[in-house]
Amino acid sequence: MNATATAHPSAALTHQQRSLLLATLAFIFFTLLPQFWDNDGDLDSLANAMSYATLALGLNIVVGFAGLLDLGYAAFFAIGAYYYGIFTSFQVMPPWSESWAPLAYVGLVEKINQGGPDLVHFTLSFWIALPTGGLVAALFGVLFGLPVLRLRGDYLAIVTLGFGEIVQICARNLDWLTNGAAGLNGVQGPKLFGYRFGVHAEPYYYVGLVLVAFLVFVSFRLRGSRIGRAWMAIREDETAASAMGVNLVHYKLLAFAMGAAFAGMTGVFFIAKLQTATPEMFNSAVSSMLLVMVVLGGMGSVWGVVIGAVLLQMMQTWFLPQMSVWLHDIGKMTGSPMLQNVDMVQWTQLIFGVILVLMMLFRREGLVPAVRKVAPLTMEQQTAHVVRGGFQGLDKIGRWTPGTGVALDIKDVVVKFGGLVALNKVSLQVPEGGVVAVIGPNGSGKSTLFNVITGLVAADSGSITFQGVELLGLAPHRVLENGVARTFQNIRLFSNLTVLENVLIGEHARLTTGPFGAVIRPPSVLKEESRATEWAMNIIALFGNRLTPRWDQPVTALSYANRRRVEIARAIASRPKILLLDEPTAGMNPAESLELAEQIKSLHDLGLTILLIEHKLDVVTRLADNVIVLDHGDKIAEGLPDVVRKDEEVLRAYLGRAGGH
Amino acid sequence: MTAGDILLQQAINGLSLGAMYSLLALGFTLVYGIMELINFAHFNVFMVGSMIAMLVLQAFGLSGQQTILTGLPLIGVLLVGFIVSMVGCGLIGVLIERFLLRPLRNVKGPAAMITTIGVSYILFNLVLLTLGTDSKNFPNPLPPIKWEIGGAVLRLREVLIWVIALALMGGLTYFVTYTKLGKAMRATAQDPEAARMMGVEVDRVVMSAFFLGSALAGASGMIFGLYYNLAKVDIGFAAGLRAFTAAVLGGIGNVPGAMLGGVLIGLIESGSGQVIGAAWTDVVIFGILVLVLVFRPAGLLGRLAPNKS
Repeated sequence: MNATATAHPSAALTHQQRSLLLATLAFIFFTLLPQFWDNDGDLDSLANAMSYATLALGLNIVVGFAGLLDLGYAAFFAIGAYYYGIFTSFQVMPPWSESWAPLAYVGLVEKINQGGPDLVHFTLSFWIALPTGGLVAALFGVLFGLPVLRLRGDYLAIVTLGFGEIVQICARNLDWLTNGAAGLNGVQGPKLFGYRFGVHAEPYYYVGLVLVAFLVFVSFRLRGSRIGRAWMAIREDETAASAMGVNLVHYKLLAFAMGAAFAGMTGVFFIAKLQTATPEMFNSAVSSMLLVMVVLGGMGSVWGVVIGAVLLQMMQTWFLPQMSVWLHDIGKMTGSPMLQNVDMVQWTQLIFGVILVLMMLFRREGLVPAVRKVAPLTMEQQTAHVVRGGFQGLDKIGRWTPGTGVALDIKDVVVKFGGLVALNKVSLQVPEGGVVAVIGPNGSGKSTLFNVITGLVAADSGSITFQGVELLGLAPHRVLENGVARTFQNIRLFSNLTVLENVLIGEHARLTTGPFGAVIRPPSVLKEESRATEWAMNIIALFGNRLTPRWDQPVTALSYANRRRVEIARAIASRPKILLLDEPTAGMNPAESLELAEQIKSLHDLGLTILLIEHKLDVVTRLADNVIVLDHGDKIAEGLPDVVRKDEEVLRAYLGRAGGH
Repeated sequence: MTAGDILLQQAINGLSLGAMYSLLALGFTLVYGIMELINFAHFNVFMVGSMIAMLVLQAFGLSGQQTILTGLPLIGVLLVGFIVSMVGCGLIGVLIERFLLRPLRNVKGPAAMITTIGVSYILFNLVLLTLGTDSKNFPNPLPPIKWEIGGAVLRLREVLIWVIALALMGGLTYFVTYTKLGKAMRATAQDPEAARMMGVEVDRVVMSAFFLGSALAGASGMIFGLYYNLAKVDIGFAAGLRAFTAAVLGGIGNVPGAMLGGVLIGLIESGSGQVIGAAWTDVVIFGILVLVLVFRPAGLLGRLAPNKS
């Protein structure tokens, strides 16, 4: 196996190092820029570009990572902005009482008198507002997200569109809080050690630069963590994600809140710089511009959205005005009044629309795609002699000795779809350490059985316990946490992710890294990640050199049989106690089928309990201790493979005739 | 005016708005029912329909509300206005489907929806750049006939709107229930795969859905102009959001549901305008959308759309 040298995750470091080097150089360049480019207007424009870049980075978490189309993202921008504006301006001034004194002592408020009773003037510091603005916006993100994130993705788009509108309506109509359409005035600029930022762009430019750098860093850290993988799994296939242990509501909310936090912080920064806030700054045009930035740069691509934001900002503040000037000049030369009056800036939104349509038609992955191109395997690797994998790394997977009782106990389960009875009082038991096969013609309810065990379909009655725990009523990710992992008949891999990433998502439920750990990456998290990767590589190695050389390839590049293997690897990665395999050898040739059957046998020998749906009788005979036959939702037979094969009713169900002849 | 009169007046207003929203909601429902796609372009196809209708009426020499027509000229002008705006919008819908959405038919993810958002901006800004942002006086040649019912007023325009909306909805119902293409549409909505295997030409069905839905948006745009006497570039968003809410409320993909939902949303709008104030109408409508989606996602009459999973 000459592939080992290059085919280990550590090989990825070179790519990471290169991108880190580029990032550092870019940061140094932009840090030094004001020293030799002393034009306040340009720096101001760049500071604005940075605001949009941070907004685009936040939207990228929601749309690009988690795949939730948010069309009202500017709402969170507005919330951060008004939060800072209200707590630093003279808009809301409750009457002074001594209970405000402690806050005055720490400088959050001051007592003022405008002729009349004493009033409270909020004087929130920019440096406190920046992180807390993020928190406030995140809180609203959770509040908005909670009712709607259970919805299907396409409804979410229109609901967020409405949210964006509602926040604007509130900003326009809640005069006492926001001063309505006239906007907040007298918002305080930041101070640092007594130095007032004032109206020059340079200090804001630096704050913006640090903010972009920070959020790029956070985005990358999240993307490469357990959190980011869970988001991308949701984006690729919600059902499979939840069956692999991802709590959908939790992670969608997290994405929503995280994106909102980015926007809230940007809102604080933006308003501190402008020192005024009006509802128009956060209208739907802003949301749409941000969407265009993300789509142009590449959904899910961190550098892509930053570049998208900078390009569009340059287009608006430099290219289009400049083009108008050129057109006016041409108009003067040719004497065309139409060209002399053209204002290209008015074309901005039209151009946005055209960008969206063209990108979707011709370059959906954006200018800087998130998915890196991987070099194809060498001819040598592709044609290498197939080597069976070893099970050395997996000795810890079995948890008990076979034959100690019933693992999975299904009793009288009924599932109805409208008038159709998909499962009619089906009962079956899988002993601990056993291998049970479910067979039956198409439409007999086999896959429904798997779906009801794993929580994807609700049962009308009956009970399903696994090691004494009732599974019915549990969400799919809770079923997996209890040690039940499955594969799907029609392969459901996370298409745009690599083999390794797919398998790592299988481990999701067994890892503990949270969002803060993912960003800070303390030693415990690093250790967990490296252990997780090692475990995943061990499982990938289970299939010998079929998958190992391909660990870094996107799963779409794999053959059908290899995709099946990845799905099994993903399920094993979750350290299940029982493995549910839905037609694992479908689409494989006889040699491959038998190879896989042997591998399943080895897994069983390690101590895994297995329930499988299979059509190939030689595979069933080789593996199963017990066979269950379903037909039209009824269990019609059960027994040893050889006995069931000769059962008359089974033959009738399969072949439509009384058997034996 | 007594409370009863106000109620009656708001019911009359609400039914007229409802007629408009129903027609618009049908476009959402037809496309969603077949492709499971929220067509954001629909918002501004409606607006373009209203502009086309205005230009047609102006081409007849009408401007503002000064020129009153009666008899055959009135019927002729209205008929031409409706037909041109409907055919115009229908063609826009077909072009969008054929050239921008068909290449994305089998692409997973939000690509098609993002495309419709892009198309929506394009339509909006093309009208903006050519006709400007100002509110335009929509010609209204209807004679100022009105009937007083108690303290409430019923004008000719309201009756006309009801009659036209009912005729169009009746036509559509007949089409989807009895014609071959209509049956093919319903079959595709139920199960695209099975429909295809039974020989349904899915391309034709999708294109018809876009044509019909967009044409109804065109009619709806003309009704908007006749009702409010104005045309403006930004009318698409509010009307579209209401119509989409109507479609969801009735049960998305469900043709009678869209009609029912439209009427209910119209009544709710005129009611809430009376009770809470027009500035908050969007919030009320939107609250209904969220409540329906959360508590009764199938809507009142049931959802009829393929479940892509």
